[in-house]
Amino acid sequence: MLGGYMGRVLEVNLSNGERRLYPVSRRIRELYVGNKGLGTRLLYDLLPPGVDPLSPDNIMIVTTAPMTGTGAPSTNRVNITTKSPLTGAIVNSNSGGNFGVHLKRAGYDALIVRGKAPKPVYLKITEDEVSIEDAKELWGLDTHETQEKLPKEMGKLVIGPAGENLVKFACIVSQERVNGRAGVGAVMGSKNLKAVIAGGKMKPYIPDEEAYRETCKAWREVLKAHPATSQQLPSYGTASFINICNATFTMPTRNFKYGTWEETEKVSGESLAEKYLVKNTACYGCVIACGRQVEVQGKKVKGPEYETLGMLGPNILNSDLKAICEFNYQADLLGLDTISLGNVLGFVMEAGEKGLLKTELAFGKIDNIPQAIEDIAYRRGLGEDMAEGVRFLSQKYGGKEFAIHSKGLEIPSYEPRGAVGHGLGYAVSCRGGCHLQGGYVVYLEANGPITVDPLTTRGKPGLVVMNQTMLEAVSTLGCCNFTIFTMLMPKLLELNARSALVAKMLSLGFLYSGNLLGKSLSMPSWTIPVKPPFMMFPQVKAHAQCTGTNFTMGKFIELGQRSYNIDKLFNVREGFAAKDDSLPERLTEELQRSEEPNSRVRLAEMLPTYYKIRGWDQEGRPTDKTLKRLKIER
Amino acid sequence: MRSPEEDTNDTFEAMVEVKLFATIRKVAGEKGFKTEASNVQEVLEEIYRKYGPEIRSEMAYCTILVNGRNIAHLRGKRTRLKEGDVISFFPPLAGG
Ligand code: SF4
Repeated sequence: MLGGYMGRVLEVNLSNGERRLYPVSRRIRELYVGNKGLGTRLLYDLLPPGVDPLSPDNIMIVTTAPMTGTGAPSTNRVNITTKSPLTGAIVNSNSGGNFGVHLKRAGYDALIVRGKAPKPVYLKITEDEVSIEDAKELWGLDTHETQEKLPKEMGKLVIGPAGENLVKFACIVSQERVNGRAGVGAVMGSKNLKAVIAGGKMKPYIPDEEAYRETCKAWREVLKAHPATSQQLPSYGTASFINICNATFTMPTRNFKYGTWEETEKVSGESLAEKYLVKNTACYGCVIACGRQVEVQGKKVKGPEYETLGMLGPNILNSDLKAICEFNYQADLLGLDTISLGNVLGFVMEAGEKGLLKTELAFGKIDNIPQAIEDIAYRRGLGEDMAEGVRFLSQKYGGKEFAIHSKGLEIPSYEPRGAVGHGLGYAVSCRGGCHLQGGYVVYLEANGPITVDPLTTRGKPGLVVMNQTMLEAVSTLGCCNFTIFTMLMPKLLELNARSALVAKMLSLGFLYSGNLLGKSLSMPSWTIPVKPPFMMFPQVKAHAQCTGTNFTMGKFIELGQRSYNIDKLFNVREGFAAKDDSLPERLTEELQRSEEPNSRVRLAEMLPTYYKIRGWDQEGRPTDKTLKRLKIER
Repeated sequence: MRSPEEDTNDTFEAMVEVKLFATIRKVAGEKGFKTEASNVQEVLEEIYRKYGPEIRSEMAYCTILVNGRNIAHLRGKRTRLKEGDVISFFPPLAGG
């Protein structure tokens, strides 16, 4: 028996109330592990192509991973996989909090939700029973009120009015954490499912529990000793990136027109810590505690993350930090993704300015934003159109060149003309404009300690593949992405900072061998059977011990590749092709800075190499050879 | 005016703006200062002089930008400075 798993996947059909166990073989568990890998595999198997994402036929899958809730640090993730109503593509939306832990305690690794309830309901999952409960009393409530009315001791996934009203970028909220992107909340709303709650006392079997505990303890020490995870994240949260992105021209400003703004410092992590921070908060079992608690309207609430600060700050020319805290709180209560929200607001402001549509919304004006947020959630007035996202808005009113999305998903708070490899990541990401699935190459180009020239396209396709593979693997193991910062060993960082020669060599090394590095990840897993240095990849040893399998670095890399390719396969079956791996003209044609001839994302220079490294054809489709190598069955 | 990439031998000192961020700012107790310096190394020395030994451990891993460009892509600590340059110091950040 594989350790870490509860061994059961629950399937519920809300149309007829049917509940059953869905069989998942050992082979599928070994190949796809959990979280997003397992989620996409199940969706690929269960959902026929062409289904309307907001119809009862769409399926929502909630997954955990073997290490979830077993004492591994920062390994609390819960993943939602479904077909996105915003993009029509696959979406895996990942969040921390504690729901995943509670779902496992109730005895399940994953939950598959089908159909549509005839009236609003919530799903209650315990070790003894799975019941579909009347949600009449909850429907219409915000995400905080909804959670307050549900049993305190259970884990919860809830939607707010935005999800009920099928806003295409509605999110799912759990405690104060959100599965934010691509409209997973609208899918829940379309099923008349207001909440899922779970709880129990079950625990998974772990083969050598004592050894595993020791490993988890050592892993915690690694995180506590690393300068990124022990100092910067706890001190400033994700918002620590605001100032450096602004300095490196990667801060979206005025609907991605510019990459820097002189007022940005006012909405930085430093300003947040100085003025509004009450205390840090953490997801279940996390020693990093990157969450912020701030005080808004006399209430202690979740503070804004980096993305929210950027998108509701410089992107709409707003330097009022208190206002951003309030907008963030309002969006969370209504259940709206703040990345898409800030992007939609920026688009409407620019379209209004250009006379394409009538609106009172304008850059730098913030008094009418709370009303706009509410109008979106309740689909009132222009809010009805804004609720459909920027792609829809640009199709209806014009302005496609400055509708900042890829595949319909609004691009988050990194201006890619200041980090062109990051731009490639946005374009190829299977769920659309996403920094995480894009590979977060901005960290190797602009805001990380070891960087390569941010404006060259050389080596970038390979670096994108490398980063995507690593992030994908970490995520599929159920770990928080922030555990990946340990890959950069403190000693290396110190050397990089101390010696100009080392810094130069690292920088050039990444640049000139970037594509080779990316390609080398396609080697069969048996050729890389090594146990990696624990302080760099503690996840690998911990997962091996938790499951009782021979999980190696080679398998870790292969997992990242497999997980990415099954996402791609899902999209290909839905009709996506190379033409969809695109960005708006503003990012590919307009120079960000007139004095920098390379400050635009030259996608055409990078895409063919990216596909080649991936083992995809010219249309961006995985070849049979690639699928065979990764043991992916169509 | 020279560009920061130029590495000349003269010792012309320019008035530059030094910006400190995150935990470096916390230890320094201020956001930055203006100083005269001809290259990045001189700015670093001024930081050590101003804030004492405590700042050294904070600076151990730091990223240095001149006008938004990482000095790894310029001439490292020998990168020459010109009037009005902005030199930013960041510890290794994380987030996203
Ligand atoms: S680092 Fe932050 S997001 Fe990740 S698990 Fe910890 S508190 Fe949650």
